[in-house]
Amino acid sequence: MKVVLKSALVVAMALSVGGVALAADKKPAMPAWKMQGDELEIAMSLKGDAKEGRDIYEVCAACHLPEGWGLSDGTFPQLAGQHHNVLVKQLADIRAQNRDNPTMYPFALPSQIGGPQAVADVVEYIATLPMTPENGVGPGTDLALGEQLYKDNCVRCHGANGEGNNEKYFPRIHGQHFEYIKRQFREIRDGKRRNANPDMVKQVKGFSDRDLEAVSDYTSRIKPPADRLGPPGWQNPDFQ
Amino acid sequence: MKYVNKLALAALIGSSAALASGTAMALDGATLYKTKTCIACHGAEAKAPVLPSYPKLAGQNAAYALQQMKDIKSGARSNGQTAAMKPVMHLVTDDEMAAIADWLSTLK
Repeated sequence: MKVVLKSALVVAMALSVGGVALAADKKPAMPAWKMQGDELEIAMSLKGDAKEGRDIYEVCAACHLPEGWGLSDGTFPQLAGQHHNVLVKQLADIRAQNRDNPTMYPFALPSQIGGPQAVADVVEYIATLPMTPENGVGPGTDLALGEQLYKDNCVRCHGANGEGNNEKYFPRIHGQHFEYIKRQFREIRDGKRRNANPDMVKQVKGFSDRDLEAVSDYTSRIKPPADRLGPPGWQNPDFQ
Repeated sequence: MKYVNKLALAALIGSSAALASGTAMALDGATLYKTKTCIACHGAEAKAPVLPSYPKLAGQNAAYALQQMKDIKSGARSNGQTAAMKPVMHLVTDDEMAAIADWLSTLK
């Protein structure tokens, strides 16, 4: 009897494993701008633990640096200061392959970062980091055009000071590295960033390369509030 | 006089040794492997890649490793998983790639 039970259990387990694999194969195509499934909603609702998040962040630190400041040449964006909901959504989108980022993709996988609680934790940790006072900026040669374009096109969602909106998933863009802003902007304009907000795609459709460069430069030069900035050359003591 | 000469020679040797080691330090493959973000994907000691499908590089032939790095950087090689690596290759110069390749080849 025991043996029969055991083998029944094994069969049941095998079936459930098969079921999971099948479900994964049949993953429905996700709408581009919508939230990426239950897991993300769970991560959104969980209270993060910054102390746990520190250990998880170690993976991120290899590229985004222990300070979360990224690289001023824009290779890696600054994460410090970014809104909670924006970080969770972008992480989930890269994980769900709803935002193409082959370099980062493996690090967004559950095998590296963990489940929804880990996502909540690492985002909570990132929230403890001050922003860089020395982000990468553009050439500074077309700022009047950039300012006008910003006022006419960007303020409604990203705010007069580039502060974004956590509730609406609009990222904080002031203090971000110029080359990163420009690259994302170009991908959004050209329809290559699949998780882009369709309202923005429509808004910037007519931007020329010059427009794009000018407004990215202007944005990179908007200063975040002083109380959000770390001192120049600050090194994260958590990773010393 | 001889003594002075010897001292001068010693100082000369000392400073050129410092210079040589300074150069070696600036192009230390092990350090570059970390600071240029190779470690993120290829793992500590180049043995534990982040995905099973990424290559283990420890002990790889230096000339081969260098050529792959150069080709991925230039775009001459654009197949397979190079899309993940290309966006960071502007972070390394030819000399730095060579130092990393040499270091990789020394790993067991």
